[in-house]
Amino acid sequence: MTEKPKPPFSALIYGEIVYWGTLAGCLISLIGTFITFVFPKKNVLDPAYVLSSLWTGKTAKEIWVGALGAEPMGHWYLSNLSCGDALQMFGLAIGVFTIIPACFGASLALFKEKQTVYAILAFIAGMITTLSMLGLFAIK
Amino acid sequence: MRSLFRQSPELFILSGLVIITYAAIALFWNVPGTEVLTPTKMWFIIVLSFLFSTFIAIIAVIAGIGGGVLFTPVMLAFTSIDTLLIRATGLVVAMFSGLISTGPFMRKGLADVKIVFFCSVPIVVGAMAGAFAAIYLANVMGATGDAIVRLALGLVLVFIAMMFILGGSKTEYPQPKKIDSFSKKMRLYSAYWEESLGKVVEFHATRGLLGGFLFFAVGFTGGFFGLGGGWAVVPVLNLLMAVPLKVAAASSGVLLAMGNAAAIWPYITKGSLLPLLAVPWMLGQVVGGILGAIILVKIKAGFVRKVLIVILFLTSFKLIARGLEGLFGINIPVF
Repeated sequence: MTEKPKPPFSALIYGEIVYWGTLAGCLISLIGTFITFVFPKKNVLDPAYVLSSLWTGKTAKEIWVGALGAEPMGHWYLSNLSCGDALQMFGLAIGVFTIIPACFGASLALFKEKQTVYAILAFIAGMITTLSMLGLFAIK
Repeated sequence: MRSLFRQSPELFILSGLVIITYAAIALFWNVPGTEVLTPTKMWFIIVLSFLFSTFIAIIAVIAGIGGGVLFTPVMLAFTSIDTLLIRATGLVVAMFSGLISTGPFMRKGLADVKIVFFCSVPIVVGAMAGAFAAIYLANVMGATGDAIVRLALGLVLVFIAMMFILGGSKTEYPQPKKIDSFSKKMRLYSAYWEESLGKVVEFHATRGLLGGFLFFAVGFTGGFFGLGGGWAVVPVLNLLMAVPLKVAAASSGVLLAMGNAAAIWPYITKGSLLPLLAVPWMLGQVVGGILGAIILVKIKAGFVRKVLIVILFLTSFKLIARGLEGLFGINIPVF
């Protein structure tokens, strides 16, 4: 065989969704980074306080409680998208989230390619990640 | 440089945007200093995190390991940042180079979609079982049990590294003597264009069932110790299942991203992942991940093997040292 083999459509679907989703997440996080340091009041947590606390070894709980009086609940960044740090977190979460549509997209493509076992495995992988995102089970 | 731009214009655009953003932040910085950090030190921490992360990502993608294997020990050794925050950020480091390299690897056929999904479920289920077992065993066996397993794991890694050395170049494009019926039924075969040889390499994975069990074990130990499974995915795929080394490294990166995606959400929703710490590392992983993917396609498989051997030895030394420390109550100054 001398011709370059073409990757299956399922591989392309999975790869492209993850790739472009991750890049989009990075761009959102970059905008968030700019807002965080140029407009420090537009943040959920004061950036000077967070960086100093990190450097002195404070725990995440101590940092949140010290700034807001309580730990965040669930996807805290979604209700604060005008804030720099929340936007940074949103970008990161978008990158992680891309796995879910990629798994389901690849699962559909694998069904069409008659790779039923792999389609089921891709669906299960997508479901596990979805349940984890929804907080239905926690890995600590 | 021009051919690199043609291959991945988004790499240049993203790198340019990162540079512009960090330069703009330096020019328009408005965050006041504190008793602990001056504004200049804050800026340097962010930029150095990005640069160090880029460097780690290139090595991680070439070797098919998660960057967490390098990130976590360095951060624990050289900073006073809380261990839970380091572990949570370590997951970002472990997964984002794999996430971004998924696209190029799938396009080139270097990562195999069937192998990825074949391994994904046992690894994720194993990781969850390991995490729950860790909580249970911490109450029953305490620190001694933890030290014994760390020591055993370190010795296993030395054994795997020796296999790569003794196996020599045979491990780069392994030829299985026999394909078992399970692997045949699962159609665990594929082909990819090997740029360093200028020809198509066809392969058929074997020992699929045993591989599945071992991936569960890899996920279990990864979840149990919070190590990530990068150190073991490539050896299982290559040495046991006879998958070519570069395909094993590429598929491992894709797999690690998928596995860690399930593990990272609880950290996000509990606020244990702080964007000020995590985002520069994420950006570095993405830029370095694209670069690493481009390099892996072009380099010879023998180079991947050498990088992997070095990393396996370094990780094993750390595990053995931590195991001996836990058993004998001594302090061994290993990175």
